Amino acid sequence: MKFPYCQHRHSSPDPKAPALEIQGLGVSYSSEGKFALRDFDISVPAGSSLALVGPNGAGKSTLFKAICGLLPIRKGHIRVFGHPLDACHHRVVYLPQRSEIDWYFPISVLDLVVMGRYVYLGWFTRPDKRDIEIARLSLKEMNVLDLAHRQISKLSGGQQQRVLIARALAQNADLLLLDEPLNAVDATTRQTVTEILHKVKTQGKTVIVATHYFDQEEGRYDKAIYLKDGKKCII
Amino acid sequence: MHYLTDPFQYEFIRRAVLAAVIIGVLCAALGTFIVLRRMAVVGHALTHSALPGLVIAYLMGGSLFAGALIATVLTALGIGFLARDENVYEDTLVGMVPNIMFAFGILLISTTKSFRDLFSMLFGNILGITDGDLHLIMLISAVSLIALFLFYKELKLFSVDPNYAKTIGMPVKFMHYGILLFLSFTVVVGIQAVGTVLTNALLVIPVAAARLLTDRLGVMMILSCIFAVLSAIGGIYLSYYFGSASGASIVMFAALIFALAWVYKFIYDYKAK
Repeated sequence: MKFPYCQHRHSSPDPKAPALEIQGLGVSYSSEGKFALRDFDISVPAGSSLALVGPNGAGKSTLFKAICGLLPIRKGHIRVFGHPLDACHHRVVYLPQRSEIDWYFPISVLDLVVMGRYVYLGWFTRPDKRDIEIARLSLKEMNVLDLAHRQISKLSGGQQQRVLIARALAQNADLLLLDEPLNAVDATTRQTVTEILHKVKTQGKTVIVATHYFDQEEGRYDKAIYLKDGKKCII
Repeated sequence: MHYLTDPFQYEFIRRAVLAAVIIGVLCAALGTFIVLRRMAVVGHALTHSALPGLVIAYLMGGSLFAGALIATVLTALGIGFLARDENVYEDTLVGMVPNIMFAFGILLISTTKSFRDLFSMLFGNILGITDGDLHLIMLISAVSLIALFLFYKELKLFSVDPNYAKTIGMPVKFMHYGILLFLSFTVVVGIQAVGTVLTNALLVIPVAAARLLTDRLGVMMILSCIFAVLSAIGGIYLSYYFGSASGASIVMFAALIFALAWVYKFIYDYKAK
């Protein structure tokens, strides 16, 4: 018996719908504050990759947080695989900037990656052998299986990033939102992350990457859009 | 050897030890999440806020337990509610509310001119625990520990990465209030042992000591419980042989364990360099 965290969950994706469709989105951090994102429209076809480019404070993280339900939407609407947000949470994974996680928490890398399976377990069910196996496979894909039993505070920046991506892979989501995955990481991590992004795309998953430097990555994405001051802009 | 067994010939000591062990385990188990979620100051706020509830119950001849519980739960929910719109920072509230509640409690009791009972409210009196108290302590502890066990996985995720918990649909606000509620329960139980002033010590010190010695959450919880139980029993022995205040003795024993853990960690790190 399963007790999911939220009712109305786990709807199957609509095969004809785009992975992400946003119309007239307006988001602000407080009810009367100014909009961090205004009149934002976008349609991202399933299986494609998109770079979201803009300087810090342009609204990239805000957009991601709105897509995965961390911020209230004040205007417009978001549909994921043809469904409203709360029906499709398990299909979306948001990779936060590393600073948003308490790295001093006393758990191992494997424990953290197994958390990617929680959405399928719900209340009261503990991860079983299969979940742990999936987590180990994800770690292996990111070339960090040897760190599985290390405490999470004892990771370098690049290793933290790879572990977080491993957790996202363990969730097996179809829409990946990655916030600055290549920011301040070592060359090995950069290469592993780039390869894995390419690989998940070939598996039919949709990838959106927020980044503030684009030159090095140009050509790897199907499309790029530019954000400035909470609005889409054309260069 | 008889130094260890002597105190146990008395019924009130046996009762006190049993209560102290249960309270210690509960405080340490919940304290683990309180410390890791950086909520130690909230524990401090709640322990002090229980005083007016205790005093009102005392003046009305009602259950001290119920009085403390109501005051603590109201404070916990009140802080959660006021901090919600961010007009006043949560840490400001947490710094402010306990002082107001504490002053209110002192104000109330000063009208009665009886400060004798105030002493046990402030500093606890585990040696004076009754059977009724003990049953209530057992009940509250059982409920809280079962809840901790059932929601262990969620508490873990909620503590390490609350945003991810929210994105997978966990009711994080509800969980935050839940933690505050169980913290209130624990505080009320802890007050029996070490009083309003020192309960937070029992929530935080054993956990802080355990954190120095391990990087594993499960091990940390077990170590915290062992340290809390050792402190509780050690404190009662101190109190028995030297006539010291039981609550303060328990806290000093916990502090001693923390100091030893710190020294161990210091030497261990020094050698590793």
